[in-house]
Amino acid sequence: MGFLDSILGKTKLPEAKTEKLFAISTAAVTLDASLGYSADGKAGVCIKPMESSRYEAARAEIEDLLKLSIKETGTEYKIEKDEYNYVWVVLSDPDFEDLVTNIQMVSQVLMEQGFGTQLLAAVYRFRGEEVIYWIYNFKLGSYYPFVPANGRQRDTSREFRLKAIMEKEMPIEKDESRWYPMWGMPL
Amino acid sequence: MLLTMGLLAVLYLGFLAVLLTMHVSQMGIILFMGAFMFLQYFFSDKMILSSMGAKIVTESEMPELYQIVSRLCANADLPMPKIAVVKTSMPNAFATGRNQKNAVVAVTTGIMERLNKSELEAVLAHELTHVKNRDMMVMTIATFLSSMAQILVQWLPFMGGGSRDRDSGSNFIVLFLVSLVVWIVSFILIRTLSRYREFAADRGAAIMTGQPSNLVSALKKISGFRVPTEDLRRVEGPVSALFITPAISGSSFMRLFSTHPTLEDRIAALQKIEMELEA
Repeated sequence: MGFLDSILGKTKLPEAKTEKLFAISTAAVTLDASLGYSADGKAGVCIKPMESSRYEAARAEIEDLLKLSIKETGTEYKIEKDEYNYVWVVLSDPDFEDLVTNIQMVSQVLMEQGFGTQLLAAVYRFRGEEVIYWIYNFKLGSYYPFVPANGRQRDTSREFRLKAIMEKEMPIEKDESRWYPMWGMPL
Repeated sequence: MLLTMGLLAVLYLGFLAVLLTMHVSQMGIILFMGAFMFLQYFFSDKMILSSMGAKIVTESEMPELYQIVSRLCANADLPMPKIAVVKTSMPNAFATGRNQKNAVVAVTTGIMERLNKSELEAVLAHELTHVKNRDMMVMTIATFLSSMAQILVQWLPFMGGGSRDRDSGSNFIVLFLVSLVVWIVSFILIRTLSRYREFAADRGAAIMTGQPSNLVSALKKISGFRVPTEDLRRVEGPVSALFITPAISGSSFMRLFSTHPTLEDRIAALQKIEMELEA
């Protein structure tokens, strides 16, 4: 948003950037081969819901499309609200490519309906020695690692290691102050 | 809002022109401007925080607050501000800091107790919009020459006696009157601007949270209005006359001087946004 807009007090949420969402697909191969983290069959999209019947319609359409898509790919899904009132579309499928396709579909539908501004993040879960998450921030259009440790601590040294090794494979957010944790994810 | 800002700019330029044609030394004005701006711009955030008794909290102390704010920031692509808490039962929240990088968003323990998570999120989004809109800078610039006019009005009567010749004597009277007019007019314009900024922050909160109604219910709770919890049948009857809520609206003249719009105006504006989201 421009300087002038802010001085005049106009607020617009930035549009979602989905171009690099697919990058996880090739990165997953490296994650498995050189780091020993394999896809854990879980992924999700986090959406900021809106008070609007058009939004509700978009949500219903996503659900319809998911039902169709499931028949082809065998993906399971659930839609739920977390404790901060954000809506999650959580997908389970042992086939990683199907997860990526369906996550892409969900974000695409929301954007086509004009709710790209409400897309917060897409999250993929991986498992190696411990569980790690790759969070895609739709507003930045980049990924960052999130490794929860005991309690509400995060294993930042492991996150930095993941960044260093994966930097060439996928678009990783350079500004580490934007690596917001997401606690209480339903996946 | 643009009109108010334009009027203020015209008024201030006129005031500066008068000051420069008078016997006030230019160097003095520039020095005064510089020092005042510097102080206000760099130290007012710390002064506000300490005068309110606000304490910066870490993520592990207030995980929920951090989670609410960080998600809002992530969704709106804003840098994360510092978060502070004031220990008082008064429900309130404020934002300060000279720019987005040095911003602090503060809430009182009273507001956290009174509001649920969605309402608190709406209030935080309102404060984040103040940060995003650079309201601190806008209001500092807007009030600066007004404060200068005020100082002149208060001090000129004591300084005027010093000179004996008639010319500078009448100059002082003109300067006094000009300062007085600038002070009064700018005061009203600044208050108008402040109310516009509040509306803009409410709007920003509605858009950032996607739910204008959360801010409506937060505003109602903070201002002491409550949706009744008592069953209608228990309230019905002769006693019900005692439960009439007092009208909150002030006269339109008083509205001219207040920094915030009235509760009704804010709620009406938010309901309009709700309609826009629907359309």
